Amino acid sequence: MRIAYLLLITALTAWQPVDAGEPLAVITSANNPLSNLSLDALKLIYLRKKPMDDEGNRWIPLNLPLDNPLRRGFSLFLFAVLPEEQDDYWNIQYFNGITPPKVMASEEAVLRFVAMTHGAIGYVHKQKVDSRVKVLLTITLPTTK
Amino acid sequence: MRLINTVIFLLAGLFLNPLPAKASNDADNDYQLGSGYSLGETGWRIGGYASTKVELPRQSPWQFEVSDLSLFLTWDNGSRLRFFSELEAGDLLSAGEHQWPSTKNTHFEFERFYIDTLVNNQLSVRLGKFLTPVGQWNLIHAAPLVWTTFRPVATTNLFSTHASGMMLHGSVPIGERQLEYAFYGDDSSDLDPHLSKNPFENAAGARLRYSFDDTLQIGISFANFALKELPTSRHLLTGLDIAWTYKKLELSSEVVYRTSDNTQPANNWQGFIQGVGHISQRWALIGRYEFFEQPNELMGQVGLFGIAYRPLSPVIWKLEYRLGTHNENLAPDGLAASFSILF
Repeated sequence: MRIAYLLLITALTAWQPVDAGEPLAVITSANNPLSNLSLDALKLIYLRKKPMDDEGNRWIPLNLPLDNPLRRGFSLFLFAVLPEEQDDYWNIQYFNGITPPKVMASEEAVLRFVAMTHGAIGYVHKQKVDSRVKVLLTITLPTTK
Repeated sequence: MRLINTVIFLLAGLFLNPLPAKASNDADNDYQLGSGYSLGETGWRIGGYASTKVELPRQSPWQFEVSDLSLFLTWDNGSRLRFFSELEAGDLLSAGEHQWPSTKNTHFEFERFYIDTLVNNQLSVRLGKFLTPVGQWNLIHAAPLVWTTFRPVATTNLFSTHASGMMLHGSVPIGERQLEYAFYGDDSSDLDPHLSKNPFENAAGARLRYSFDDTLQIGISFANFALKELPTSRHLLTGLDIAWTYKKLELSSEVVYRTSDNTQPANNWQGFIQGVGHISQRWALIGRYEFFEQPNELMGQVGLFGIAYRPLSPVIWKLEYRLGTHNENLAPDGLAASFSILF
């Protein structure tokens, strides 16, 4: 009976969500000379307040769809708000002719676009990164229970 | 006129340079309300906003207006040049207690028409017609972006809301935050063939705005200008604006002070303070106090109470009542309701 009880406790413990971080990679094209990026710079790029990289080429920030968990986690990590809570900011930017980052349909779409487009910058799960792109920054998103 | 011709010539050149081919098939290009429609991969985007309002002043007849239909045309192909224009059809349709629905007051105007050249991350050069950077309200005055149908007197009365010429603008890091700046020179009388209401004759000015954190921004504005008016007078304007948010409360205030060398009154104060309380995700209550010195009158004061409903971020319904003293000329008592949408 005691063994059965211990097995039950072990099994229940094993099924609980693990509070480990979810690694996310901020990527750019493999031929981009930049090798790293600060969080502050990343924030400005995604707010469209830092339009160019160090070489004078325009940044093209990419997002995932609004309901994508990675997009939501990225937004919470970088701006401390959910994407829809930035609507007022983007409405004002739109009034001044500035549009939000381009939205790609999937992480694979982000990888393809970044690989083929100089200045493009996006984010994907770290384990999906391949040789087509370069990692500028790794972020660990807190796991939501 | 020369400026407009130059800009049109540049635009013709832009049309001949489509975007370089990119892997864009995976992009989510569906139209979304409030962000305009992208014309493929050309870099062109078209959008705008519309608003309609009913005003019931206490001592004059009611009036209905399709008050604004503004079309934005932007071009940005990823190079260092960006183009933006806003063509406004004002008073598109109006009706009133003694007036059948009519389009007789309809007028068209380029509210903005400029090219930005990105020099670097800290500096852009703007050439054309743009909103005068005095205070924050004037820079975001579109009906879907503000909480009230009535515009505060201080955001429009003492200066021209538009300028034509050159502006150097951008932001520089100060500490951990960005200081936004704008320095401009205006020569509307020579450059703008479609003069806006109360236009500058010429002007020079600057604006600085610092974000202390994500909840507090403070801006200061300066302008030295002559308006197209008689008698001709030189004015010096100083402005201060503050925006602060705390949880579900927004507070904002703008004050302008103008001195003039040949206009009465020679010194003129105007300002407002506004509070917005978000009572739910979609509903907000608005309260505002305004004061404004004015020619040949005691200082006007008004209070405004309103409610706003935003079913979607680019859509807003507003209802408000304004009441004051010595306010008949600039901000009369009355009720207003409006509907506005960014598209």
